[in-house]
This record gives sequence, structure tokens and C-alpha cells, in this order.
Amino acid sequence: MTKTGFFSKQSESASGIISRQKGRITDSIIGAVWFFTAVFAVFTVLFILVFLLRDGLPVFSEIRPADFLFGEVWNPGGAEPSYGILPLITGTLLVTIGAMVIATPLGIGSAIFISELAGPRLKAFVKPAFEMLAGIPSVVYGFFGLIVLTNQLRIRLDVPSGESWLAGSILLGIMALPTIISVSEDAISAVPREFREGSLALGATRWQTISQVLVPSALSGITAALILGMGRAIGETMAVMMVTGNAAVIPEPIYNVLSPVRTLTGTLGIEMGEVATGSTHYHALFGLAVALLVITLIINLSAMAVIQRLKGEKRSSFRISERYRDYIIKGLYGVVFLLLFLATDIITALAVLLLAAAAIYIRRHLSPGVLQKGAFGLIWASAGMVLLSLAVILYDIIIHGYPALTPEFLTSSPSGLGREGGIFPAIIGTLYLVAGSILFALPIGMGAAIYLREYTRENTATRIIRTGVDLLGGTPSIVFGLFGFAFLVLYLNLGVSMLAGQITLGLMILPIIIRTTEESLKNVPDSMREGSLALGATRWQTVRNVVLPPALPGIITGAILSIGRAAGETAPILFTAVVFSRRFLPDSVFEPVTALPYHLFILSTNVPGSETNQYGTALVLLILVASIYLAAVILRSHFQKKAAW
Amino acid sequence: MRTITSRDLLRVVGIASIIIAAVIMSGCVGEESGKDVKTLTVTGSTTVLPIGQSAAEAYMEKDAFADILVSGGGSSVGVQAVGEGTADIGMASRDLKVTETEKYPDLITHVVARDGIAIILYKDNPIKSLTIAQVKAVYRGEITDWKELGGDDLEIVVIGRDSASGTREFFHSEVMNSEDFVRTQLEKNSNGAVKKTVEQTPGAVGYVGLGYIDSTVRAVMITDGETAVVPSVENVINGKYPIARPLNMFTKGEAAGLAKDYLDFIMSSEGQKLVEEEGFVPVA
Amino acid sequence: MEEEKAVIRTENLNLYYGEKHALIDIEISIHPNKVTALIGPSGCGKSTLIRCFNRMNDLVNDCRIEGKVIFNEEDIYDVDLDPVLLRKRIGMVFQRPNPFPKSIYENVAYGPRVHGIRDRAVLDEIVEKSLKLAALWDEVSDRLHDSAMGLSGGQQQRLCIARSLAVEPDVILMDEPCSALDPIATAKIEKLIGELKERYTVIIVTHSMQQAARVSDYTGFMYIGKLIEFGKTPQIFESPAEELTNNYITGRFG
Repeated sequence: MTKTGFFSKQSESASGIISRQKGRITDSIIGAVWFFTAVFAVFTVLFILVFLLRDGLPVFSEIRPADFLFGEVWNPGGAEPSYGILPLITGTLLVTIGAMVIATPLGIGSAIFISELAGPRLKAFVKPAFEMLAGIPSVVYGFFGLIVLTNQLRIRLDVPSGESWLAGSILLGIMALPTIISVSEDAISAVPREFREGSLALGATRWQTISQVLVPSALSGITAALILGMGRAIGETMAVMMVTGNAAVIPEPIYNVLSPVRTLTGTLGIEMGEVATGSTHYHALFGLAVALLVITLIINLSAMAVIQRLKGEKRSSFRISERYRDYIIKGLYGVVFLLLFLATDIITALAVLLLAAAAIYIRRHLSPGVLQKGAFGLIWASAGMVLLSLAVILYDIIIHGYPALTPEFLTSSPSGLGREGGIFPAIIGTLYLVAGSILFALPIGMGAAIYLREYTRENTATRIIRTGVDLLGGTPSIVFGLFGFAFLVLYLNLGVSMLAGQITLGLMILPIIIRTTEESLKNVPDSMREGSLALGATRWQTVRNVVLPPALPGIITGAILSIGRAAGETAPILFTAVVFSRRFLPDSVFEPVTALPYHLFILSTNVPGSETNQYGTALVLLILVASIYLAAVILRSHFQKKAAW
Repeated sequence: MRTITSRDLLRVVGIASIIIAAVIMSGCVGEESGKDVKTLTVTGSTTVLPIGQSAAEAYMEKDAFADILVSGGGSSVGVQAVGEGTADIGMASRDLKVTETEKYPDLITHVVARDGIAIILYKDNPIKSLTIAQVKAVYRGEITDWKELGGDDLEIVVIGRDSASGTREFFHSEVMNSEDFVRTQLEKNSNGAVKKTVEQTPGAVGYVGLGYIDSTVRAVMITDGETAVVPSVENVINGKYPIARPLNMFTKGEAAGLAKDYLDFIMSSEGQKLVEEEGFVPVA
Repeated sequence: MEEEKAVIRTENLNLYYGEKHALIDIEISIHPNKVTALIGPSGCGKSTLIRCFNRMNDLVNDCRIEGKVIFNEEDIYDVDLDPVLLRKRIGMVFQRPNPFPKSIYENVAYGPRVHGIRDRAVLDEIVEKSLKLAALWDEVSDRLHDSAMGLSGGQQQRLCIARSLAVEPDVILMDEPCSALDPIATAKIEKLIGELKERYTVIIVTHSMQQAARVSDYTGFMYIGKLIEFGKTPQIFESPAEELTNNYITGRFG
């Protein structure tokens, strides 16, 4: 009665049946493997949390939780030590908000630019250029920020020091851009052609189509991009540590963007190295790391709730909000006016309000054609500004770094503390670290994404997994470093080693790979899957032969972004993998390495008189990452030519 | 126009593996390490790092089989590493804390150098000397403008170190008498960063180790009683310059083998000359 | 007598999408080597019904089945039965042609490949045979390795038919296969259906009564989840037993 007896009526391939039975078992095994990779991310996050709590909870035996969370003074080294983290939390929130204010319009504008306005040749140039921004290491951003940005702010705004909230937000905004642009652009391009055509066929202008059809359709992808970008901003340590001034104060008044601030990550970065193990201060820092993770969780969960709302079918709620929309808008005007009045004086506030009213009036009476020109102008401008910042940073580094690039520099070891000699071991070390981290993260990440997309339906389990992945993505790099040190180096006794560094870096890039792979898989139409399944193919056969190949370009994009991150990060390898110098190259993965970002960090912060080599190191790191990018971009366009959509 | 097949997928994996293999192979192009290699790991304070590093370079030149691995990370990392046994030698720009001596009772302290701490100002700041009391008042936020000290009409920008830096801790106890710093001071994570900021900021004041003084900043003389003393190595040696501290290297138990040879080298005249070259104060 | 030889039949089949009772007490018998058409207004459940036959409804969230679907005397919803193997015996052609982004050759060879056939010579033979059966061979034999996406709509649909023929099913389900095609392509496919029934059993869902009248031997009329009437096509169209059927056929509602 079983299937074997029945289907043996196929005379042609009797052996086919047996291999098919094996096929079914294989399919289940494969499905189980992907399940474990998917669960891995959740498991890791919980594990990190546990390890942090282990070292963080003891702080509450000495300080009351309320004093810790809401205390306004962070002064662990004072005569009367005080561990209030409120100014640090405020600093993190303010800098992040500022960064998102800058990065959201520029990022979405640039994404629209690439997807809708740029011609094919321009696009082929601009898209990799934007991705290039991701390749600039955070320590280089910090370096540039310290030397150029804060100085310019000090001069132009005529303030005593440029190290401020504003500097931090500008820098973080730029750093979050490539993530926001890439993922948003993928989302916008994925909107089906029919939507575009339907809108244009009704006589709408291109701008109306973009703003009222495309962007709303792509909203879930764009929101995902913004969350990823925000995660990047919250978690950044090195750059923000170098330009925000690190004064643990709450700005007065609260919107004074020129006040110095200090973030949670900056505190960890600055103080972790010099704190005595086991002291109250030590535990307080781990408690701080827990607070950081909790903030990330809250932001991510609320963002996810927002996305759910956007996707939801609650039509009735739209109708209601439309009725109240006018009231809401008028209310907003009132609030803005009030704020302006409080901040400045009644005359300025009235003037601004009049200007705004005039703008709205004009806009309503402009023809759609003119509006489109205006909107497109703004979009070109935003893309232009992003390219400009890229150009400025590159220019600075190339001009100052070029003199250092001699053959000896690239092939010999450092001497004189790095003032002379070269950086060969650091180059090799960086390559090892990156290769190892991708080897670790790519299979697990792809497996998790495949499981989430292809092997299961949306249910509580998938939501838990996705939350875990988002949390992991928002975990600051310094926290990965702390975890890597406490768990891999100490607990597992791997010692400071390449392997510890590779795993730590791998964990850090895992969420990016999962996210972008998932998006790519989502873009493959279901009709393909149905067609394959209807022919009697198993899940895995369908995924491998029909779903994966067209998704490959998107997966490569994710790998590119990850490589950029991994190569340039200092914080995760600071305590896990690197030494400043060693004579011989490592024989095995259990030995420490030197790496370019670390080398640059030590040179720029501790070795005076090494300016030329600092720039040289920065330049080499840039070139290295750029070549990795170039190789991947070539691969990706090669595949896109083959994919006949 | 061909389309993507899973054969293409395999091709990508193949190319990637070849590239990775090539990278790993290229690592072997570097210097060959032999079987008789002795390794020594030295880690800790970034202030002491220049001493550790230059001594390592000089030592390795004499001994072809020694591989000395030097890294930073901070004084506490140094103590923890040598205490836990993950490093052979730990460097710190401060003495051991009570919690540390309790946790790692068999650490031995070797003082390898002394470090003077200089107060530095923007290059064009006309002020040439300050008393310790004045420095303290500035860092407490009681004096906020240079004109109060006889300088230009310019707001003072206070630059300090991160709250658990060994350097800061020393400054805090010796200059500040353990009173709190002004809360708006900008905190930097290293001597180099402090110096760079002071170099660029007209109203700035900061404190750094002697080795970081150069022509791009002005190091003020400290007025002790009658005389203004220039921060310099000699003045630390002869005791005239009041702000100075020991720089330490720790071993777990008595130093032995390569660690002993290395430490002996640092304490030798050749090693102490390196100490001086890096801008620190020799002790032997 | 013919009922005993039914290749597919249902016993008291009910299907629920969540709360919605989408198929109500369906009892139908499909005759082998004949073309059976299912007609009825939109939303009556005809596509849902045929998707029960190859268990494609398994892919839908929240779908529950009661009753039995018997294929050659086996209950296909039996726990031990592998749907993957089932779909080899019961193939499906969809409303919108969905060729894979691969070559024409690879599209047809895909099915046999996933079922374990690797030998190039055997695959060549299968591809040629299937394309001929689908009346597409003459048009594509000189460009088998070109992308399938370059074919016209009608050719793509015939390619999809060839693709499902390549795994040698017993039954072919067609879900409104011509609704996205122009009349000439439609005519070609209708002719093809007539030829296919010699070797296969065909069940076709169609929006067009005229098409049902042209190509089918048996017709079932469905309305809001129920099978109202089922019988030989001439009888259904000329002298339907149910008044509802009659009203639909004569166009009183659609």
C-alpha cells in the first residue's frame, strides 16, 4: 500500500525510485541543517547577552539600578566614584538621531538616483562609488574626522572646539550611507515593472510615480535599510570616539549640536582597555554594554512593529487617519511653531512659519512638471553631496598617503615603531582575517536566509529568529570584541589568535549576509518555485537550481558590504587577534596577527611623527578593500548579464 | 545569451577558493620561521608601548630566533593578560591596584622607566609657565578664560584622558589632589590624540608624556615656588620637575628565559638609551 | 463501469482556507485518457480543486482538507505518501507561463534531472520527444540553448507543457492555460490538448465555456465551492440537468 509499491509502476527508472527515496531523506537532512544555521543567530545573541550579564550584574551589588540608569554623573575615577550612565545614553541617542537626520534624505535620495534617474553608464560608475564608502575603515573615518572635520567645524562655526555632537553625527551619517543606499536601491529596483507602467499609463509624471507608487511599495525594504543604517550608527565606536569630545555631559540646551558628548560605545572603547579586571568600574562597563544591547533591542522591536503596520492589510485604519490628517498636520505646525518660539524669539519663529507657508503655497500651485524638475534637482544634489564627501575623504588620504607608497613599504616589516619600514605583515594579516571571517559567515548566513525564506512559513519561530538577527546586526563592534575576548580568548582558551579574530569578525558580519541574502531570495518570483515543485522537484532541488542562481547578484552585494566591514574594523580584533608587531608571519590560526586597521589606530593615536606612514597605511587599506570590491563588482555584473530577466 | 546554471555557482565557489588559497600561500612568502623560534608576548599600556616595541626591535636584531610580539590595549589589559597567563609580560603606566594584587598575587613589578607629564598649550599661546595650583584650577573649571591667567581673551578648552587611563589617574592624584575634573573636559584615549587636539585648537590645554612634546605645541614650565622648571628628562632625573611617575612591566613570578633576557636588555645601558630616545626618563 | 476505472476521484472532499469553506462536499470522478473541463464563475473553486489533485495546496497557509482524493486507488493525502513523487505523476501547467531563466533545453531537462537522470544522451532524447509532443520542436530545434525568456508567450506556454511532459506524468492539470495568450496561440494549444489525450489524462480549468465545449470530453460546472453538475460535454451544454447550469451556460450570469 505504501508509495514504494504503487509508484513502482514506472517501468523506466526503477533505480530512480530508490534514489528518490534517498532524496527525501536528504531533503529532510538539508532542511534540518538550514534550521540549525538559522537558529545559530538567535543562539549567539542570547549567548553574548549571557556572557555580558555574567560580568555586568555584579555592579548592582554595589550600585542601585536607578542610580546606574538615571544617574547624571559618570565619574568612575573620581574621589567619590559615580556610575550614572544617563549622559552616555543621551549621547548615544542624540548622535544617532543626528546621523539619521543627515543620512535618511541623502541615502534615500541617492538610492532613487541610482535606481530611477541615472543612465546605465552613470549607474555603473556611481553604484560602486557609493559602495566604496563602506570600504573606508571606521578608524580612517575617525582619523579624517579628527584632522579635517572637527578643525573645519571649529574654524567655520567659530567655536572653541569642533569636537561635538555635530561632528559625530556628520561622520556617522556618512558611514551609515552605503548600507542605506544599497539596500534601499535594491528594494526600489525590485518594485515590479507593472507598477511603474500602471502609474505612467495614467498620466502621472515620473516624479509622481516615484514618490507615490515606487517608494511606498518599497517601503518595507527602505525601512529595513534605515534600521540597518541606524544599527551601524549606534554601534560605531572608533570614529565616534575620536570626534565627539567624549565629555560625559548632557548638552545644554538639549539641541546644542556643538556641545561635546560621549556615547556608550565611546566609553567602552576608551575605558575598557585600562580598567582593572574585577573592579566595580569593570563590572559597570559590562553593565553599560548590557544597557547598549537593550537600547538596540527596543529600537529594533519598535521598528519591526512599524514595518508590520506598513505591510498590514488594515485598510480601515488608513481611512480613519486620512480623515484626521488635516488636524494632525495643523497640530504639527503648532508644535513646530512653539518649539521655534521657545528656542529663538517670536520674530524668528513667525518669519520661519511665513517662509514655510509660502513654500507650501508655491508648491501647490506649481505644475507637476516643474515640481518634478525641483525634486529631481534635489535628488541629483543629494547624490552629488554623497559623492562629494567620498571625493574629499579619498583626496585627503591619497594626496598624503601617496608619498609613502614605495615598494619597500609594501614588502617589508615595520621598524622604528612603525615610523619607518613597511606594513607587509599587516597586509597579510588583514587578508587572513577577512578570508576567515567570510568562510565562517557566508555558509551560516546563507543557510539561515534559505531556511527563513524557503523552508518555513511566517510564524512565531521565524519572528524570533529575525529578531535575533536584527539584534546581532545592531550589536556594536566593541561588544563583539568584548565577547570575543571573554569567551573565545579567555574561556575557550584560544588565546589572542587569528581564529578568535576571524570568528568574532564573522559573527559581526553574519546579520548583513542574512539580511541581504533574504532580500535577494525574496526577489525571485514564486511562480518559479511553483513551476519547479509542480514538476516533482524537492525543496532543496528547487532552491539550488531555480531560486539561488538569480539571487546570486544580491547575495554578492551582501558579501561585498561585509568584506568592507570586516577589513576595516578595529574594535572586534583589538582584544582578540592582534599584536602591534611580530617578526614572523603566523604559522597557524592559533597565533596572533597584525592587521592594517589596528596598525593605523596605534600609529595615529600613539606614535607621534609617523604621519606619512599613517596615511600610507590608510591608503593601502583603501586600495586593498577597493580591489576586493572591484573583483566582486565584476563578478556581479558578469552574472547579471547572464540572468535573462 | 546563456543563462545562469548551478555550474556557474560552482565556478564562483571554485574561483573564490583559489583566491583564498593564493592568499594563504602568499603568507608563506614571508620570512620562514624555524623550529628554534622562541616567542615572547608583551602587552598592555599604550604609553609604555614605544619602549616595549623599540626594545623588542633592537633585541630581535641581536637574536635571530627571538620572536617578540608586542601589542597595546591598555594598562588593565596588560595586567589581566600576564595575570591570566595569556601573555608573558604586561605593561602598565601605573601601579597595581588592590583588586589586582588580590587576584594575581604572584605578579612581580619591574620599573623600566619613568615618565614626566608635561602640560601643553597651543603653539601660539603666550603663556609660558603655570603653577600647579593654577593647573588644578583650570582642570576644575574654576578658571575658564586665558585672560584670567594673563593670556589672550579666549575660552579655555580643557583636554584630558579617558577616566581609567593610568596617566589620568596619576594626574588626578598628584595635581588634582583627587578632586574632580570639570565635567566638560574633552576626553581622549591616548597621548597622541591629546597632543593632536591641542596642536589644532587655539584655546586648548592638555597633559601628555614627555615623549610627545615637539615643536607643534608649547610645553609650559611648572613654577614650583620661585623657579619655573622646564619639563625635561634631566629635570625629572634631578627631581626638579614635580610631575613624574614610574612605568612598569610585570611578570608572573620571577622572570625566566627570554622574558628575563628581554627585561635585562631594557635595564641595560643600551636599553635605557632606547628609553631616553623615546622621550622617557631612564631609571638605571 | 467507467467509474471503476476512474484515474482520480474524490470522496466527500471539503477544503477550508482558515474559516472560509472553499470546497463543499465534492464528489468527482475523472476518466482516464479524456479531457475533463471545469467551468464556473470566478471564485467558484475550480483552481482550488485541481490544486488538491497534486497537493499544491500544501503550500498555502492555513489550508485544511477533509475527505479523500484517490489517485489510482491510493489516498494521496495519506501520511506516508510523498507529495514530491505524486507531482511527478500529476503535472501542472499554470495560467501565466513560468519558464525558468535558463535555456530551452535546460527548462525541459530540469524535471528528468531532478528525478535522477544524468545521462546526456537520455536527456537529449527526452527533450526532443517532449518538445515534439508539445508541438514546439520545429520552432526551436535550432536554438535549444538560447534563453527561454526570448520565446513568445504562446511558445513559452508550450514550453511549460513540454517541461511537464518530460517527467512522463499520467495526468496533466491545466489552470487556465490560455488566458494570457492570443487567439492564434490559443488555437495551437487547444489542438495540442486534443492530441495529448491519447497518452495522458487532461483536466483543464477554463474561464471560457466555448473553449470547454471545443476541447473537452467531460465537463464539470462549479458554483461557490460546489460541483453542481458533471457529465459528458455535449450533454452539459445542450441539455443540462440543473437549472443553475443552464443559467450559466446561457449567459444569464457569469
